[in-house]
Amino acid sequence: MIKVLFFGPIADRVESREMQLEFTPGMTLHDVISHLGMQYPGAFSLVSFIAVNQTQVHDKQTVLHDNDEIAFMAKFSGG
Amino acid sequence: MSAPVRIQEADFSQDEEIAALKAGSKRIGGIATFLGCARDFSEGRDVHEISFEAYGSMALAEMNKLRSEAIAKFELLDARIVHRVTTVRAGDNIVFIAAAAEHRAAAFDGCRWMIDELKQRVPIWKKEITPQGDSWVTPHP
Repeated sequence: MIKVLFFGPIADRVESREMQLEFTPGMTLHDVISHLGMQYPGAFSLVSFIAVNQTQVHDKQTVLHDNDEIAFMAKFSGG
Repeated sequence: MSAPVRIQEADFSQDEEIAALKAGSKRIGGIATFLGCARDFSEGRDVHEISFEAYGSMALAEMNKLRSEAIAKFELLDARIVHRVTTVRAGDNIVFIAAAAEHRAAAFDGCRWMIDELKQRVPIWKKEITPQGDSWVTPHP
């Protein structure tokens, strides 16, 4: 399974903070973005940062592994 | 002694954070600090409360990295970063940053750099709770 996390305004728009996706071999980050982006276009318009296993990634062709954790994040506003 | 980098719900004591720095080295000649606190207004609206949310594990890792980078970049003797993740009211403390160095210039520069970088790099979000409703804060400099 792939654990998907949403934070801040993105979580509000998805109306969920966490979901699980079925893992399939060869799955990429792009596959996840396409799948969820279609379901939640309003939420994904806010995504500024993506992390896989707590590390920010920029390459959407990143290949995922079973039990990976993906986080979709809006611009940060701490401090 | 508490860890130099923390995310916590509870308030912090600036005196305790500074004492922890001073206990670590007698070479410290200056400590610069930044205290972020909650305003009761934002963009013309009253703000009753501010609610924080963090991607805890990533935020803490990034804050630790940021501290290490600041120590190396500005030749600091030590540094501390504490951020609260909870709901605060006007006047409450939010974030504390301290940079200790042999001389003031490095302490000021290191402290400023850490809060600027924190705002850019650390996955924490704040939502303002106002009489007109709640709204996530759009970052600005």
